[in-house]
Amino acid sequence: MNALTMSTARPPPAGDDLLRIVRINEEIKRVVGVSFKINIMALNAIFLAKRAGTAARGFGVLSNELRVFSQDLRTCMEALTGLIHGCVNEVSIVLQDIRFARLLREAAELAPQSAAIAVLQRREDENEAHRQKLASLRGQLKRALEDAFQMVELGGVLAKSAKIEAAYGQSFAPSLSQVSGEFDGIVEEIRGSLESLRRSAFFTGH
Amino acid sequence: MKTTKTIFQQGNHKWVAIVRDPEKPNYLVDTNEYLVTHGGKGLLLDPGGAEIFPAVFSALSAEFDPSALAGIFASHQDPDICSSLALWLEFNPGMRCYVSWLWSSFIPHFGGTADTFVPIPDEGTDISLEGLILQAVPAHYLHSSGNFNLYDKIAKVMFSGDVGAALLPPGEDSLFVEDFDRHIRHAEGFHRRWMGSNEAKRRWCERVSQMDIDMLCPQHGAIYRGADVQRFINWFDDLQVGIVKA
Repeated sequence: MNALTMSTARPPPAGDDLLRIVRINEEIKRVVGVSFKINIMALNAIFLAKRAGTAARGFGVLSNELRVFSQDLRTCMEALTGLIHGCVNEVSIVLQDIRFARLLREAAELAPQSAAIAVLQRREDENEAHRQKLASLRGQLKRALEDAFQMVELGGVLAKSAKIEAAYGQSFAPSLSQVSGEFDGIVEEIRGSLESLRRSAFFTGH
Repeated sequence: MKTTKTIFQQGNHKWVAIVRDPEKPNYLVDTNEYLVTHGGKGLLLDPGGAEIFPAVFSALSAEFDPSALAGIFASHQDPDICSSLALWLEFNPGMRCYVSWLWSSFIPHFGGTADTFVPIPDEGTDISLEGLILQAVPAHYLHSSGNFNLYDKIAKVMFSGDVGAALLPPGEDSLFVEDFDRHIRHAEGFHRRWMGSNEAKRRWCERVSQMDIDMLCPQHGAIYRGADVQRFINWFDDLQVGIVKA
């Protein structure tokens, strides 16, 4: 295909992508902040369960699991942040490609007998490689986000189990119920954040 | 599209001015680019900003094979000087870019690799174009703190970058200065504001007045030739620069 007509048909959404990535990154930062909160809450819950003794042994085990969950979630979010940085880098390259391809295309149109068409063709091939790399990173990010979502599902189960265990806490039951309710609320908040990330136009394209 | 005008020719030694694009959007400052050719190779002086690359490229390629460009001379670091660098390198990745050492790690933000840049020391240097010696003449602080002009002793042509530049109103677009007194009014405000040092200006005037120059070619506006060259040097020498009317 002629390089002059090759890429005009595809309006590249890279500029929008950069904005979408920024929003994803902000949401990830929010999840990291919240997961840190779970860690602190879980530590407090472990101490509370210890004070409650054998009646809250199950609650103690679950609190410990929630603490591990919060740490795993942070590790997962760090991996997502790494992928986000990779995407920012690749989107920036694609944006530059778009500008250069536009200028080379204009040059080729003004000087059709020159070497500009061959250079533009070569450029377009390189640009396609960059677009594919971005598509691959987009896929990796989507999969990593799904993994995070699965992890949060598990966190939700742990929080709900903690709610049930709290009921067996005898005189500590009201305090344990309050803590487990807070766990559940926070896990739901994270789930909401990840749901909105899943719906991001960066993945859906609209 | 820009037009090309050959302003000097002796065998295969040429100076070509690439000027005046009627389709250029008004929000972009108008620039002159110059091509020096010798022995089948070319040196492009201040190739211009990325946005005007198509216009410069098409005008140049009507005259000369862009892949035969051996290098680019950047008088200083501004975006209207050389933000098109990466695009020119597409046509010849081996092209060198001659620029003040002061900017040799700044201009790579426009493109190029470690091998692209040839830093020019403060005192200037000789640049060979297939045996033709072109002299990088110091013009520091006029206006950039690392700034060079380029002198061709054979052609007696001096590319003066922003020195001598004029922001011409619509309709006054002749290639050469025709009426010095009328023209210089369009240069005065620019020089007062952009040129930062009276001392640097005085040294430049001293140095350049000793050189044999038939044409003084700025990056904006019209070319001074003949007696207008010395007229400009005298005018500039008298001008108080580094002044803001505020």
